[in-house]
Amino acid sequence: MLGQAIADGILTGAIIALGAIGVSFGLQILRFANFAHSELVTWGAYLALVFVTFAGPGTPTGPLSFGWQLIAAMVFAGVLTGVLAWVVDILVFRRLRNSDAHPLSMVFAAFGVALVMRHVVVLIWGHGSYFYTRELQIALEVLPGIRMLPDQIFILGLTFVVVAAMHLYLTYSRTGMAMRAMAESPSLARVCGVQVESVVRWTWFISGGLAAMAGVFLGLTPQLHPEMGFNLLLALFAAAILGGAGSLIGAVVGGLLVGLAENLSVLFISPGYKTAMPFLVLLLVLFFRPQGLFGEKEGSR
Amino acid sequence: MSMGLVSYGVFFLSVVLILGIVALGLNLQWGYTGLFNAGIAGFYAIGAYTHSIITTPPRADLIANMGLPWVVGIAGAMAVTALAAWIIGLATIRLRGDYLAISTFGIAVTIQLVTLNFEALTGGSQGFTGIPRPLYGMFGSPFAFNLFYFALLLAVVALVYWGLERILRSPWGRVLKAVREDETAAIALGKSAISFRLQSFVIGSTLMGLAGALYVSFIGFVSPFDFLPIVTFQIWAMVIVGGSGNNKGALLGALTVWLIWASSGVAITKLVPPAHAAQGGAIQVILIGLMLVLALLFRPRGLIGEETMVSRHADER
Amino acid sequence: MKTTLGVAAALATIALMGPAPASAQQVSCPVKIGGILPLTGSMAPITKKIAESAQLALEHINQGGGIKGCPVELVLRDDQGQPTVGVDAAKYLVEVERVPAITGTISSGVTGPIISSVTGPSKIVQISCCSTASAFTLDGRSGGYFFRTLPTSKTQAFATASEITRRGLKKTAIIYVNTDFGVDMTKFVKLALPKLGGEIVAEVPYNDNQSSYRAEVTKALAAKPESLLLIGFPKDAVTIVREWLSLGGPQQIALNNSMRVMDFVNGVGPRFLNESFGMDNAQVAGPTVDAFNQAFEAKYKTDSKGPGVHTQYDALMVLGLAMNIAKDLTGPSIKDAVRQVHAAGGAQVGTGPEEFKKAISLIKDGKPIKYFGATGPIEFDANGDVTGPALVWKIKDGEIVTDRVISIEEMQALFKKVE
Repeated sequence: MLGQAIADGILTGAIIALGAIGVSFGLQILRFANFAHSELVTWGAYLALVFVTFAGPGTPTGPLSFGWQLIAAMVFAGVLTGVLAWVVDILVFRRLRNSDAHPLSMVFAAFGVALVMRHVVVLIWGHGSYFYTRELQIALEVLPGIRMLPDQIFILGLTFVVVAAMHLYLTYSRTGMAMRAMAESPSLARVCGVQVESVVRWTWFISGGLAAMAGVFLGLTPQLHPEMGFNLLLALFAAAILGGAGSLIGAVVGGLLVGLAENLSVLFISPGYKTAMPFLVLLLVLFFRPQGLFGEKEGSR
Repeated sequence: MSMGLVSYGVFFLSVVLILGIVALGLNLQWGYTGLFNAGIAGFYAIGAYTHSIITTPPRADLIANMGLPWVVGIAGAMAVTALAAWIIGLATIRLRGDYLAISTFGIAVTIQLVTLNFEALTGGSQGFTGIPRPLYGMFGSPFAFNLFYFALLLAVVALVYWGLERILRSPWGRVLKAVREDETAAIALGKSAISFRLQSFVIGSTLMGLAGALYVSFIGFVSPFDFLPIVTFQIWAMVIVGGSGNNKGALLGALTVWLIWASSGVAITKLVPPAHAAQGGAIQVILIGLMLVLALLFRPRGLIGEETMVSRHADER
Repeated sequence: MKTTLGVAAALATIALMGPAPASAQQVSCPVKIGGILPLTGSMAPITKKIAESAQLALEHINQGGGIKGCPVELVLRDDQGQPTVGVDAAKYLVEVERVPAITGTISSGVTGPIISSVTGPSKIVQISCCSTASAFTLDGRSGGYFFRTLPTSKTQAFATASEITRRGLKKTAIIYVNTDFGVDMTKFVKLALPKLGGEIVAEVPYNDNQSSYRAEVTKALAAKPESLLLIGFPKDAVTIVREWLSLGGPQQIALNNSMRVMDFVNGVGPRFLNESFGMDNAQVAGPTVDAFNQAFEAKYKTDSKGPGVHTQYDALMVLGLAMNIAKDLTGPSIKDAVRQVHAAGGAQVGTGPEEFKKAISLIKDGKPIKYFGATGPIEFDANGDVTGPALVWKIKDGEIVTDRVISIEEMQALFKKVE
């Protein structure tokens, strides 16, 4: 049972990690807690649904429950969600950033944006559930006592590849370096000639794309509904802060820790307390490292 | 004015006053100290449940009921909430703004889960019935009791308001604001920022606990349902709408937001045919969200805005 | 300050006189009935049909002659699924609209404070279609003014336990939603199952609205059960059942009444549910039930399946009948009259406007009536709860079909055996 819980935890954690990367960038590069990020997850899932509705999920390929169409849908949704994130920035957040509003105005505005985005989904698609595919897979015993679905193994693999690629991109590309410079010190980055607006645009685009990916994976296990992203919101924040804002690796490790904490906790205490687990881990970490596991200690604010 | 309207008005305003106390507590934390407390529902819940446990007579299925007088319940609720806030504050007060928000939010979620799962103490999901109301037996009609309770609440709010205004205008209050505006400078002047922030956090949370106790002894029933995160959101809306950093604003915000909140459902049900109630609901929330965003873009200071003066002598300069 | 004192003094004077009691002798038209339902918020999707059902009942009452010769108006308010909003709505209905009776609401967390702070103290009859928390009706905590038309969780729990053992399933794992409904159901199943020869090997609560329930499912599966009893609501249940099956859980799955909707069946996939079965309260076949179903389908062009649809109709019809029986439209009179709606030896009356008309003329002649509603016979016990027959349903060729009916007599025998 322990092995199974660990496997489940890693899977949950991988999906959380994809969403948490965007939250983490938001906290450090854009300098605010973007409560609307979870809605990008939902929108990503529903945009992929639009594609799937026209193209179909594809015939099951090998052991997987879907075909290439779903992958195409994910790319489609990733790009559109990235653009959506950027458009929201232009409409709301950039205006606030450029006015001398209190930094927390951004947080409240994000709250409002989240309400609007979530309920537009309700208005368009209704409250009911949707599915990409009606297939139901039976888990394979990958290790003694550990069962996983082929889809889940695929999700884990793809997440790993994408995160690794992102890490390389951020480390070696010009945009990546500019983003890291912004994360460390916005004013210094500006002085050094970093194009702030361009970095902001890329940050939104990447966050949105990864959120959409998390959304599609979430929808694959197994359903889409308007609150799917919102229900994940706190786990995303816990993971991002746990890892340390602005750190890609931190967000991934944070996501895995949150996933593991949820899944392992039920072995010891009532599952009724499961939703509190990410926070308890978070509090514990923050108590000893107020900047998170991989976060840089901040200077005076 | 019809009798019924008066009776309803008294009841409605009683709820506003209770929520107003919570808003005053948050205003102290946020408006005057800059603490982003997103765990309001948690402190409200601690006060509510502590009061329920202290005042409800012992019952076979619950382990801790005491059946003590109302006043003991209020005092106990404030004491327990203060203690909890102090412990939580010690652990979290040093965190940067948004981290503090997530941490306190998480604590509120945890507290709500405890009220849901610790059935022997709290009655669990069934809720806690039969919470005694103060002097209820002395009143012949529910209206008379409500009127008495309303007067009681008015007195409590007046006391809280007066007390807050006093301490905020004292040297303590000025340091608090200094800490909010420029922590480094305040520290340089030899003030321990952490300890001031902690004090403000504890006092504000205690007020939330007090409001929780006043709420349950007004309604007579409590369940984990009363402490969902939406409560936190409502109180924040009150402080933002009223204008943070202004106690009158917090009370006015409580009235305005609660009025809109309670009546927006009526408006939707009147305007939208029942067959489209679900869509009507979605539009209602979209409008709330839009209002919030537009208010922040075009009217960032709230209805009243922050009082510009810190001390009574400031404008005499 | 002076004005405040003045106002206070004026109010105090009014308080001493007390509000004028809803004067009873002369009934003023139209007669108002209050309704409280979560029309917006997370419950809104379920509420839609329930609200429609209430409108249908209102129509039938009016077509059948109204209340004491007056047309009836349903003043419906939204509780948004929030206790404070619901209490405010109730207070408004009672004080400003002066309704003598209320129907509502769905969540027990909202119904509870309404009973304790509004309808209880003001002696207003309240009939809920959907709130299950057993605490409301125990020990007369509502002063006898609260009724509900859905059978308590006990009926369904005992029926479920007996069906599980009848099918020879020995080891059962329970996964239940962590709400008053799930907790109550589990409590009663735990009471019944061991006495009927079954065994509970795992009890796992779950909190709703989570993206995955693998942890809960894994925990339940670790006990190596032969069957699963899932108590919850359709959306999360789809996730749980799919995860249960993919992790190798047995297909013998017992379900509660909420899952008797096609959204659930299609969500999981009917071909995976051939071995599963479910319970439902009452809703037995019968002419009065069929009449309701037909009327509902004719009016709204959709089937009448779904939680609360039948019980909401009955809640309002019971109020309509009771308010005709009551000597005046005050809370205490209506409360007593509710208990005469299904009188022993009364003439049988059913659903629909014609039947309501028949009932009114019987009442006018001073004859007792016996109401059979959209959920079968409606008879309240001392606590204000109804007990009724149960039915077992299953999935066949992608459709939900009735497997067998557990009659009232069988249920009573079952109650005796367990208690």
